[in-house]
Amino acid sequence: MNSLDVGVRNFLYRSFAERAKTPSLEDVEAEFGLERVAAESVLRRLHDAHALVLEPDSVQLRMLSPFSCVPTAWRVHAAGRTWYANCAWDSFAVCAALHSDGRIDASCADCGDPIEIEIKDGRAAPDDHLFHVLVPARHWWDDIVFT
Amino acid sequence: MNLFRSEEHLERWLEDREPGGTTSAGNLCQLAYAWYGDRLDPDWQPRTVEQNQRILDDLGLTGEFWRLS
Repeated sequence: MNSLDVGVRNFLYRSFAERAKTPSLEDVEAEFGLERVAAESVLRRLHDAHALVLEPDSVQLRMLSPFSCVPTAWRVHAAGRTWYANCAWDSFAVCAALHSDGRIDASCADCGDPIEIEIKDGRAAPDDHLFHVLVPARHWWDDIVFT
Repeated sequence: MNLFRSEEHLERWLEDREPGGTTSAGNLCQLAYAWYGDRLDPDWQPRTVEQNQRILDDLGLTGEFWRLS
């Protein structure tokens, strides 16, 4: 990841958090004075470096982890807005990334009953629900959407 | 990566599948803060695999299942 890649990555995160809107390829082109093909190359390098996730066969953003750029079942109310997260881990991480208290609205994967968890000062309440991941850590990025 | 109300719910959901990695929501919250707390920092830099592994290790997420490489 070169300095341009890191700069674009940081711009995408900042833009997403501040504007509540998924930044586009055009936004990257305008911000960095890049031609289309160069902007696409940066996004693909960031995807390959696991710094973000693009939709399959496009340069549309799917994930700026922990944030999801598309609606999911993991909703987090924090910093005055509602965010979508990519999974259980990321739902907690939205509050971590924003340095904000918040509330996670999720559900039990078995029975579907709602699970609400408050995050205050970096701690979860309640804290006794179970988190489970099927995929071993070294394979998380084999198919990150499934993971 | 899912949440479950209890061990009983997790076991029912797994059925015949091989169990993966499990931890409490409280530990997951600590993991989230250690892993993602710098995600929006203006001077963010990527971490190495070794740095990420240390985060998992420090929270007791050890063993072959939690090895990143």
